[in-house]
Amino acid sequence: MHVPAFSIFSAISELVVTAGVIFVIRRNWQRRNFPLPVFLGVVLFEALVNVLYMSHRASQAASGTVATAAGMKLFFAIHGMISLLAFIVFVVLGVFAYQDQKRGIYFFRERPGLTWTFLMVWTISIVSGEAIFVVRYLL
Amino acid sequence: MPGATGARAARTLRLRSPLLLALAVTLAFEAVGGTVIFFARLAYGVTPGEALHVIGGIVLTALYAAYQWRHWLRVRAMRPRLDHALGVLASASLLLTQVSGWMLGFTWWQARGAAADYAPLVSGLHNIGSMLVLTFVGAHVGAVLQRARWLDGDGSGA
Repeated sequence: MHVPAFSIFSAISELVVTAGVIFVIRRNWQRRNFPLPVFLGVVLFEALVNVLYMSHRASQAASGTVATAAGMKLFFAIHGMISLLAFIVFVVLGVFAYQDQKRGIYFFRERPGLTWTFLMVWTISIVSGEAIFVVRYLL
Repeated sequence: MPGATGARAARTLRLRSPLLLALAVTLAFEAVGGTVIFFARLAYGVTPGEALHVIGGIVLTALYAAYQWRHWLRVRAMRPRLDHALGVLASASLLLTQVSGWMLGFTWWQARGAAADYAPLVSGLHNIGSMLVLTFVGAHVGAVLQRARWLDGDGSGA
């Protein structure tokens, strides 16, 4: 099956974005300076490239221009919801962490429950996205 | 400190203004409605509450225009702060969402009673715009409230 170049790019870049997310949280966890450029880079890239890609693919699937199995559509929708939630939470928590650090507070370090819950949701979002790529194009 | 107390009172008043509350409620209504439509359209090919979403979108445009005008007059002097940058991103996303929403609304109006044939690109732009609105409005409001809490707490503002 032909795999669109943008799909390959998106599948790989999701892993790079995940590395960025872990980097931001890990730095904060280790009580080191908040990497604002990395945070902004990850957020803007994810917003402009990956969310756009996911959203456009979802619209295509919904409009019926691309044949998609019913089960896959439901999985798309659930993946979309989880990804949106994970992205919003990452941006909001990152902003809190950046502002808190100015006052010597390490947001993620001081909220391990919230941090691990977020990382779990992020992992589910990424794994489900990669699973869609594999099922749709590689199997 | 009278200056700090006055600023706190003004901030409290702004956060409780009827226009801001109406905007927040309408935005929340549109966000929930849009999310339901996105999920149902993708998963089951149906669009529940579409008419309500369009009407809510028209109300949202009017409320947002009024709010943004007042807000702009107060904060137009750009400050190198994250909450400001997030505010600019939030307004840009809201603008994208409103423009694409009006385009989709026009398609919906033309197809009254029948299934509307939405352009995937416009639909995609509306979806991404909505996601960005939720993200950046959430982050902007969170950053502003967090800063206000500090200012109210010790007046340093960090």
